[in-house]
Formats: sequence, C-alpha cells, structure tokens
Amino acid sequence: MRCSSYGLIIPGSESRFLTTTTTPTTNKKPDRFPRIYPTSVSFGSLKVKAKLNDAAGGTATATAVVDESKELSFYDLLGIPESVSLVEIKQAYKQMARKYHPDVSPPDRVEEYTQRFIRVQEAYETLSDPGLRALYDRDLSMGLHLAFSARRRQQNDVDFQVRSEWRNRWQSQLSELKRRSMNKDAGGNISWAARMRRKRDGLSQEL
Amino acid sequence: MALSAFSFPTYVSKATNSGPHKSSPVTSHFFGAALFSHFSHKLDNHQLKKRPNGVCASLSERGEYHSQRPPTPLLDTINYPIHMKNLSIRELKQLADELRADVIFNVSKTGGHLGSSLGVIELTVALHYVFNAPKDRILWDVGHQTYPHKILTGRRDKMHTMRQTDGLSGFTKRSESEYDCFGTGHSSTSISAGLGMAVGRDLKGRKNNVVAVIGDGAMTAGQAYEAMNNAGYLDSDMIVILNDNKQVSLPTATLDGPIPPVGALSSALSRLQSNRPLRELREVAKGVTKQIGGPMHELAAKVDEYARGMISGSGSTLFEELGLYYIGPVDGHNVDDLVAILDEVKNTKTTGPVLIHVVTEKGRGYPYAEKAADKYHGVAKFDPATGKQFKSSARTQSYTTYFAEALIAEAEVDKDVVAIHAAMGGGTGLNLFLRRFPTRCFDVGIAEQHAVTFAAGLACEGLKPFCAIYSSFMQRAYDQVVHDVDLQKLPVRFAMDRAGLVGADGPTHCGSFDVTFMACLPNMVVMAPSDEAELFHMVATAAAIDDRPSCFRYPRGNGIGVELPPGNKGIPLEVGKGRILIEGERVALLGYGTAVQSCLAASALLESHGLRLTVADARFCKPLDHALIRSLAKSHEVLITVEEGSIGGFGSHVVQFLALDGLLDGTVKWRPLVLPDRYIDHGSPADQLAQAGLTPSHIAATVFNILGQTREALEIMSFKS
Repeated sequence: MRCSSYGLIIPGSESRFLTTTTTPTTNKKPDRFPRIYPTSVSFGSLKVKAKLNDAAGGTATATAVVDESKELSFYDLLGIPESVSLVEIKQAYKQMARKYHPDVSPPDRVEEYTQRFIRVQEAYETLSDPGLRALYDRDLSMGLHLAFSARRRQQNDVDFQVRSEWRNRWQSQLSELKRRSMNKDAGGNISWAARMRRKRDGLSQEL
Repeated sequence: MALSAFSFPTYVSKATNSGPHKSSPVTSHFFGAALFSHFSHKLDNHQLKKRPNGVCASLSERGEYHSQRPPTPLLDTINYPIHMKNLSIRELKQLADELRADVIFNVSKTGGHLGSSLGVIELTVALHYVFNAPKDRILWDVGHQTYPHKILTGRRDKMHTMRQTDGLSGFTKRSESEYDCFGTGHSSTSISAGLGMAVGRDLKGRKNNVVAVIGDGAMTAGQAYEAMNNAGYLDSDMIVILNDNKQVSLPTATLDGPIPPVGALSSALSRLQSNRPLRELREVAKGVTKQIGGPMHELAAKVDEYARGMISGSGSTLFEELGLYYIGPVDGHNVDDLVAILDEVKNTKTTGPVLIHVVTEKGRGYPYAEKAADKYHGVAKFDPATGKQFKSSARTQSYTTYFAEALIAEAEVDKDVVAIHAAMGGGTGLNLFLRRFPTRCFDVGIAEQHAVTFAAGLACEGLKPFCAIYSSFMQRAYDQVVHDVDLQKLPVRFAMDRAGLVGADGPTHCGSFDVTFMACLPNMVVMAPSDEAELFHMVATAAAIDDRPSCFRYPRGNGIGVELPPGNKGIPLEVGKGRILIEGERVALLGYGTAVQSCLAASALLESHGLRLTVADARFCKPLDHALIRSLAKSHEVLITVEEGSIGGFGSHVVQFLALDGLLDGTVKWRPLVLPDRYIDHGSPADQLAQAGLTPSHIAATVFNILGQTREALEIMSFKS
C-alpha cells in the first residue's frame, strides 16, 4: 500500500496524527506545542537544535567518560569563573574547542576528547544564551547539578521549564480552591450568592 | 490510487460514522475529499481534481497547505459538542489540530478574522469537552474568535457563508444558534452578561455553569472591571477565562511592526506570566496551614489568605482584590492542562467567581500568521500555502486613509493638532499619523469614554484634539460627548469612521445612529463629506472650528475618484453652507454625506426618462443651510432628503426647519429616505443598501411614486442593474 511508504500515521495507533514528525527519543518529553508543519522547514529552529543535541546525547551516554565529567559544571568545563561576560565565554570556548576538536586531538584519546568537545560546545551554547544561562545558574545555586542528559532535555525546551512552573502553581491554586469551597457557604458568608445557594441547597435537601 | 477514491464514497462515509477507532486506515488519508462529500456539496468539483501526487497526506507531515479542504477525519464525526464527550485527550489534541486546519481553510476561502480564532482552538475544544453547552453558558467576548466554536456547534457546513449575505455572522448571534448565548461585537461585555446569566441561574434555582471568555485587550475597558467588581461582591459561581495573548491593541500592529501593549495593565499581566513563583515560601505557608489545619478551618484559611497576598504575583492580587479567585497562568495551547483545570473547577461545588488566566499566542499554528506583525487579525481571502492575501486593487484609497492624510497635512501646519483613538490604530488610519507624529497620537486602549474626556481635557489646555472613533463605538462614549464636551462647548473634533452600513461586520458595527445623536446636541457642528475631496476640506474645517465641538462622518469603503486638493491640505468650508451639484426642476434631492452619490446616480437614471432633477449636497446637518433649503422648497414641487442614517437625523432637522419656517404650509411635498426601522444583517454592501432601500433605483422609484408615475417606479425597481 502506498501510504506506508510515506510513513503516514494511522489514526487510532500509537503515534499522533497531524503533529510533528520529530520522532520522539526516549528521553524527550511529549511535544508541548504540536505544530502542524514539519521540522525541516526553517520555522522550528529550536527543534533542529533538539535533534542535534539528541544525537549528541545518544552517543554521550554510551561512554564511561561521562561519569567523570558529569561532575564538572559548565563553568569548570570552559575554565572560567562564574561571573564572566559573553566575550570571555566566547574566548574560553574557542580555546577549548581548538584543544578538544576531534581533528586535532591525539589519536589514542579521540573518543574522550570528542566527548569533551561536545560537552564544551553544549556549555557554550547554554552560557552564551542569557535566558538559558540564567536558568542554569539558578539550578546551580539550588544545588541541583543535573546529569547532562537530563539537563539537555530541559535546555531543549526552555518553555517547558516555564510551563512546568506554571503547572505547579496552578495545581496548588486548584487545591486551595477546593479547600476554600468547603467553607464557602458556611454561616458566616453573607454574600448574595451564598444566601441563594443555601436556599437552593436547603430546598433540594427537603426534597 | 487517487482515482479509486471516487468509486466508493459510501463505503467511506459508513466507516467514518462508526467512529475514529473503527475507521480503517484506508479512509483517513486518501479519500479526504470523499469524506466530505456528505458534508459539503461544493466539494463535488474538488473530487474531479487529481491531487498532486495521489496521496492526501496530513498537513503536518507534508508542511503543505492545500487549497482543497484538508483531511479531518475526526472533526468529521463531530457535529455538536456532545459528540466530543467520548474522546480521549489524545483524540482531543488531534481534533484541535484538525480544527485548526479547518479554520485556516475556511477563512482562506471567505476572509475574516483568522489570528484570534487560531489562538483559541485548544481552549474551544477544552471548553466544549468539559462543559455541556448549550445548557452550560459559554460566552465569548467580542466574538471574532468564535470560528472554531461555530464549527464545533453545528455550523460547520455553513462556514463557507461566513460574513456573507444570509450566511453566518462573523460574531456570536443569539438568533443564529442556541450555542451562541450572547451577541457580541463590541468588546468587554462578556463578564457583565455572564454575571447576569449566573445570577439569573441562581434566582431560578438552576445548576448550570457559566463561562465568560475575555481577552486581555478587552480587559482595558472599564466595563470589565465594573463587571468583575460586581461579580466579586455578589459571589455568584462563574468562571472568567482571561485569554492573554499580549496583544492588547487591535489591529495588533503599527505600520512598522508589532505594537507594544498599551497601558499599565498588560505589564502587570506579563509580570504574572513571568513571575518566578516563590514556591518555596508557598510550600512553607502550606506546611504551616497543614499543621494548624484540621478543625481550625478559619484560621488556616486566614493564614493562607495572608500568605497568598504576600507572595503571589503582583498582578494576581488585582483580581483577588476584586473578589475573583485567580488561577494561572496556564498554557493555553495545552489541551491536557486546560481540560484538567476546567474539570477541577467544574467539579468543585462552590467556587464563587474564578478567573483562569490562560496564555495563548495569536495566530498560533499558522506560521505566516505567527510571524506577521498584525498576526493576521483580519484577512481577506488568501492562499493557505503562501499566506498571500488576495487584495483587490482599487483605483482609489479608502476614506480612512484619506482622513489620515488630511489630518497629517493639518498637523504639519498646526502643531496643536493631536489625534486620539481607542485601540484602533489600523482601523482609523491613525497608524499613519503615529508614524509621522509619534508624540501626538494617543492610543488609550479600548476605552472610548476615557478617550472623549481625555480629548476634552486636552482641549481645555488649548490643543486641537481629533478623536477618531467608529460611529458605532461612539455610542459607548455618548455621555462623555454630551456632558464633558458639548455642555462645556469644548472644541473637540470627532471623526466618525464606518458611518452608515458597513457590510460584512453587520449590525454590531453599523453606524446608523450618529447623525441622530450628534445633531440633537445644542453646540455641536455636524457635517458629512460626499466624497474624498470634501473629506479633506471638512478636516480642515474642523481644525478651524475652535470655539465649539464639531464632528464629521464618513463611510467604510473607497473614494469615488475625484481630484484631491494639492498637498492633501483642504480648505475650510463656510460653516452652514451646502452646494447645488445639478440644477433641475420639479424635484429636488437633498443628500447628506455619501448618499449624495446615490442621488447623483438616481438622477442619471431619471435623465433617460426625461426628468431633470436638482441634486444638492447639504454638507452640514447642523447648522443647516437655511437659504439653500428655502430656495429648494420654494422652487420645487417635491423635496426628498436622503441620508444613510436612522430616523431623527438629517431629514428630521430639515423638516423641523421647514415646518417652523412655514414652508410646509405651501405646495411643496417632503419625503425622507432613511435607514429602515430594523437592523440590517451583515452581507455585501450592495445587498445591504438594497435591503435598506437606499440604492439609486430606490431613490428614483421614490421620485416616480411621488409624481404619480407608479408604473415607471415599478419598472425601475424590477430592472436589474
């Protein structure tokens, strides 16, 4: 059947119809903003970055080098103190990149250096973007030094971070609403609607 | 494979009707066109067109926007909200996507409001899923974002008639469907109406829900606060959904880019959105209340109340103080979240008024709209694949543009000229003025009342304010016009655009009453241009009138093509003087405003019957050109006054004068031609004029009827020009 060759999705099956074609990797959260156009068009630059990072993440988690450099923060990786300007970050990144680039790394330690390079690049990407940097700094200050793979997931979707904050907030607001509603029609409440509600409930109870 | 689509449409429709789960793979993609055959007849010709490569894949995967109807298998099964009740959340998301595609397709064929509808797709789906319209009342403020709502509530098959004669209205309309609870068109009325419905429900002892959706732009109007204040006081159960897309001004751009939101409120709202929740403190507070909790409800509640006030976002306290329980911000494009919240609130027994702050993006899901400065707020027909609108090229520009140019010319020579509008920079043409004079153009948000009194204040200080407010929106500011401007005789100039019938927007935007309500004011100078050159002169006249208020009205549409004054600078007219355009005999047509053009056309029609009419342009309704009217009344048998306004306007003023002057005691017959005593539904301008009875044919027929030549009158009316 011709449809299968186009990779069309059948409704009722697991994958979603009429949403993005980004094949979800295991560590990526479900797409928060279903777009109805494919990611290969220039509109979704964030998604392209996602693909890049996901690809990098796939290889990174495989090696054991990860465990060692996991402890290093982005600032350590670039060899800079925490309070530096963008220019210095750029310089540090360039230095590191030149040192660890696969093409110039010593042949026996290519893999290790490549991992390092990827990590350095990621560090630069995060720290050069003021929004991402702010998030990262905050995480660092809260003492949450997440593993790179987890961090990458959050970096990929800055909005996701914000949205999850929102979700926590409104969830707590909803539980408060529920609690408030217990006392809403208590005797002390003399608002017009409270009186009407009491009357209505009183009548229905009689019935 | 595509050809085989046509051979079994019946099989396909049976399959889809059995529900999304049971439909076979075959039905969903290939035969998208066939699926729709039993919904929309006009697709019959689409079936004959072969699809580009034989496969109609979903929009998302191919990134194409078909000029043909996109495939929407799930949406096809939904005729009314009740059909949505068995869907899972995943299917709701699919439904939202399909609905989005359908809206884009429909608007591309008919034109209309696109951006706002796209922003509320997920919200509409969630609302209809959770609530049970029409028993539960869902009110939409302004109403131009209700295209998805109409699709989901049984009007999908009529979407191709949107904003056309005898078709769907572009706004909600009670007489159109029981799912449209309240007619809207002017903004900021939904909370008031919703509160009324909630209180009515309480009085009648019913138990349905009331939901009012209002935008952040509409929130800049005072009525929204009046309503919230009252809602907080009455404490009736209702839900207000604040649809925040950071636009706050409409159409949402200047000529050079997106407009930053107007007013202090929007920054409060954005603070709310970006407010890093002091969650840790809240957790502490919650912990404290938990400890106190148990039987000590009231104390715990008080602690919580104080904690909330202390640490919640600096904007939410605004709503809290008004008495609405604030929830949010919520991602307005996430169906999961929306359904969860709405469900929770619905199932909470007693809530009082609740405000859910939903953050959406205008034009979401259609890249061209997302990137456009005005977010494709109102569009003509366009090509979905490229986003290019099919704008018909006209020889002349719109009266709106001419007004803006005239005002700029006035402001060049006189530095006291300033312009005020109420969130309608594009619609009034004042975006042009803003670009030229950035510090002399004031956008006050959707607040006409404030705009008028603000202008009055400016006039007190010696400035020359021009208030550009649509004729129908001026109705909101009437008391301010009377009390703050006219009573004190302050020289505020009112430029009333969209006077008369306005076409597709319908009666909510129709400016029928402005002549009546302006001309009855003692100190007001009331005038109307009959073409664009006259408009330039009247702007100059208004700028020159410095001792009393003045106003002029002009319609929607383009100029007729007369020569414009040099340098766009008009020459002030002599106040209270009209002009005679054609000298004739027996019958005189005295027109006011652009109705003069219809009079000229009518006289051309009658020329061929051997009648030479006099056509005069009154120019001023107040003060009337007494000399002109006297001369017309004394030298003609019949005097017909023509205007595109309601009873009580120009014609009434003329006949008042005629009566008081003793001219009606003689031989002249006077007849008025005004808008009829009913609301004219939306449609094309030509159709509306025909319904109103103000076309040139109607005028000519009236002349014949008065002269006793009824046969000729019938002939003119039956002749299809």
